[in-house]
This record gives sequence, C-alpha cells and structure tokens, in this order.
Amino acid sequence: MSPVTTTLTCIACPIGCALRLTHEGRDIVELAGATCDRGAKYAAEELVDPRRQLSTTVAVEGARVRRLPVKATRPVPRDRVLEAVARIHRLRVRAPVRSGQVLVEDLLGEPGLAVVATRSLGRVGP
Amino acid sequence: MLGRMEGDYDVVVVGGGPAGLAAAIGARDAGAARVLVVDREDEAGGILLQCIHAGFGLHYFQEELTGPEYAERFVARALDRDIDVVCSAYVSGAGLDSDGTRRVRVMREGHGIRTARSRAMVLAMGCRERTRGAVHIPGTRPAGVLTAGLAQRFVNVMGLLPGRRVAILGSGDIGLIMARRLTLEGCEVVGVFELMPFSNGLTRNVVQCLRDFGIPLHLSTTVVEIHGRDRVEKITVAPVGADLAPDLARRWQVPCDTLLLSIGLVPENELSQALGVELDVVTQGPRVSSTLETSLPGVFACGNVLHVHDLCDYVTEEALLAGRFAGELAGGVKRPRDNIRVVPGDNVRYCVPHTLAPGREHTVYLRCQRPLRPAAIRVGDLVRRKLGFVTPAEMITFRIKPDVLDRFHGEARRIDLLGEPAGAHLAGAEP
Repeated sequence: MSPVTTTLTCIACPIGCALRLTHEGRDIVELAGATCDRGAKYAAEELVDPRRQLSTTVAVEGARVRRLPVKATRPVPRDRVLEAVARIHRLRVRAPVRSGQVLVEDLLGEPGLAVVATRSLGRVGP
Repeated sequence: MLGRMEGDYDVVVVGGGPAGLAAAIGARDAGAARVLVVDREDEAGGILLQCIHAGFGLHYFQEELTGPEYAERFVARALDRDIDVVCSAYVSGAGLDSDGTRRVRVMREGHGIRTARSRAMVLAMGCRERTRGAVHIPGTRPAGVLTAGLAQRFVNVMGLLPGRRVAILGSGDIGLIMARRLTLEGCEVVGVFELMPFSNGLTRNVVQCLRDFGIPLHLSTTVVEIHGRDRVEKITVAPVGADLAPDLARRWQVPCDTLLLSIGLVPENELSQALGVELDVVTQGPRVSSTLETSLPGVFACGNVLHVHDLCDYVTEEALLAGRFAGELAGGVKRPRDNIRVVPGDNVRYCVPHTLAPGREHTVYLRCQRPLRPAAIRVGDLVRRKLGFVTPAEMITFRIKPDVLDRFHGEARRIDLLGEPAGAHLAGAEP
C-alpha cells in the first residue's frame, strides 16, 4: 500500500493545529503540524476509528415539555451518527422519566452503548 | 426548599441558572444561613436546560455532562443545602433600609408581591441574544428570522422545527451547535456566514458541528439583504473587506426559509440599572471590585450578567466566589476597599474584576481583541507570562498571586496582551 497524506484540524485544544499526516492504511508514517503530543493521539484515533459524542431529543408525553433530552453513553462512530439518530428518534417516552434512565440498549448493535435520558421529568396531567 | 419564601434572608440571588445556583451554594457554604434564589422560569436551571449537548462540567465535576444534567446536579445541591428556590417569580426592585439591609421586592405567580429583607444580594440574571436590529440587516421583515438560542429552545424543549432550509449568520458557539442540531433533526443547513476573518466559536465546534456534516463556513462574509414577503425566501450575502464593509460587486444569493442569528450576547442588566448599579461600557455588565461587589454596597454580580463567558464551568467558578463574598458580608466580615485599578491595555478588550486589593490571590478574566500566537500577558512591568495562543472566542483566566501585588506601587495596573498576530487558522469555505 502506498502512503497517503491527509489533513486534519486537531480539536484537542483551542489552537486547532492543522495536522498533515502521511499514513499507510492505519499506520501513521509521518505527522507534521502538531504543536504538542495530544495532536498525535487525536490523529491516531481520528484515522482509525473517528467517534463523536451524540445527544439529541425524543418525543415525551405526559410531561411539562414535549422533548426529552437524551445522549449516547459512549461516543458513536462518526460515519454512523445519522443512522444512530434515526434509531433514537423512533422512541416515544412517557413521563415520569429519570435522568440516567436507559432508553435503548446496544445502540447500533454495539454492546454497552446505551441511550439514556439526561433530565428527569415528572408526570403532569392524566 | 423548592417554592418556599418566608422571613428574612442573608442573601437573595436573582436568577436560578448556573450562576445563581452556584452563588447560592457559595453563600451557604460561607456561612449564610438563609439563602433565597428567585427565578423567572417555571423551573430553575436557566439556559442549561436547552443546551442538550455534552461539554459541561469538565472543570467542576471532572466529567463531561450535558446541560440538563449539570443543571439537575446544581438544583439538587442547592436544595440539599436547604436553600429556598422560588420559580415563576421576578425581583422587581430593591430598596435600602437605614440599617443597611435591603428590602427585595419579589413578584411571584399565584403569590402576588412580597418583600423580603436581605443583608446581601447577588445579581445572576444572565444574558440575552443580540437580534437583527443590533446589526441592521436590510431587507423585508418576513417570518423565519430568529436567534440561534430561540431556535434551540424551539427544537430541544418545545419540539418545534423553525424551518427546513437554514442559513446561519455568525459563528458563535450557539450557531455552530444549532447547525449540527438542525442537521440531526433533518433540516438542510446551507451555510454559516461570519463577518470576521476567524470563527467566533470554539475550534472543536467548527470541526464537530460543521465539517463533520459538510456545512460550509464562509469567513469574512455577511448577510446584506433578507428577501421574502411572509416567509424568508432567500438571503443575499457578500464578502467583506478589511474594513468589514461588504463588497456588493461579489454578492451572491442563497435560497433558504430560515435565517438564524448567532451574533453575540448582551448581559441582561435592566434590574441592575434600575437599582443604580454602575455598568462598564465594554462588558455591558456591572463594574465590580475584587470581591465581585458592584458599585452598590452589598450587591454582587456573577456569570453572564457580569460579562459573557464561553464555558459554563467558568461561570460556576466565578459565581461560587461571588456567593462566598456575599455570604461573608452577610455574616459581618468587613474587608478594606480595593486600591488598585485594573486598566485594559494593548489588545485587551476588557478585564473583570475592575479593581484589586493587595494581600489576596485574584482571578482576573479577560478577553483579547485579535487572535495572537504566540502570545504573552504582561501585568504592569513586573509579570510576564507566556500564553501560547489567544483568540476573542476564548476567555483568558489569569491568576495573580498576592506577593506580586505587594511589589506594585501606584494605584493602577495595566494588563497587555503581546504577541504575533495569528491568521485565520481554520480555513474558510473548505467544508
């Protein structure tokens, strides 16, 4: 496999170094542009398995508000964010609900990747 | 206790967002027995309740929480300390008694108007968003032009989508986060337009909220006209020159049905002004001493009502301090007046607090005017420290040790930010 050069913006800190990395498959051959060690760690993760934190809201009935905020308990693969959101948006929740309550287990088929409520909502009305 | 308001108080806190809750906790922990938090919404927590993304609490809780989680923890901590919290209530004024206590007038839904005596007050009303009028965008006045934070409330709390095809003016963090949020909700975000040659939001938000979804960021570009009769139909945008004036010869049109504005926040100081608190023209918040006390004795200020912060954890840190000083004052602690003025110097937009006292460690918050890299901070002619990188989007926190002030002479200290101008390190239209 021949080396490929990619550019990334490091997000480990506010400087946002422009990283130029040369890699063969998953192995980084050369990294330029990082002004600290965190750049190398970020580049390695971003190259092999880029992941993002995910939070969104789902419909909730019987509460004072109409949307319940939720989050994935671990970062999800960047390229499957929209797929994960589509799955989460199918949820319909009835109050009462507690912050931390598990709403989906094994999101995207990944064991231990759960979707939990991030706020508590009491029951209102019938 | 939630909903209780009775008797006299040591400290009354105006606002139940992150600043107000932390100030109340700070006051209680400093020995104030009776603390009241007054919030105008029907639930405490402030804007955190609509900030459903993660990124809160890394400094304070050493873990990354979403806004609602951060709010819930603080409300629980306040109630655990037997702090009184009343919601759907306004502080509509306060007077000073001859013995130095204040009478705080609280207007509360279902309870009418009541007055509570209090030894100290903390102002923690937060800020609000600048609107179209603040930047004078020409064009028609159709539906579909709204601030990013309002759209955030629509989407995250009320379950309403503001539109389908969205353009965003301004690259503040709320705008960037809403670009991602609306994309996840199925809207098409056609672009973010930023007047300045650099993003006003945090770098990680530009990467995670725009680049991940291929949303273009047009730097040095602004909206010059809004079109549409009843509903936004399109906008005209144009690049701006170094003088920030749009170059209309190079304008182009962007079809969209919604324009979100993320063009800055303004501290909400109507109550402060009604009380007679002196404001700083740059921060648009109160001028405060090193104990975060305003020009009115016994009235303190913290959080976004004092100056707009970029991280909630810094609000918490500042509010805990303000609450502590308010609690101490209520307990009878008397401190000598500050005798050192802080003067913003080269490339410094503002510094808070406005004055310092020798003999104590201080935390000074400041913002620069232009990005610098590398950068250094200089205090008077005695302290000089490297900072690496500064940008207007990132508040700078600087701790000054007591021995440093003891070596100073004179009544004013100038703070400068020195360094090499940094270019737009995040390239513009490249998605």
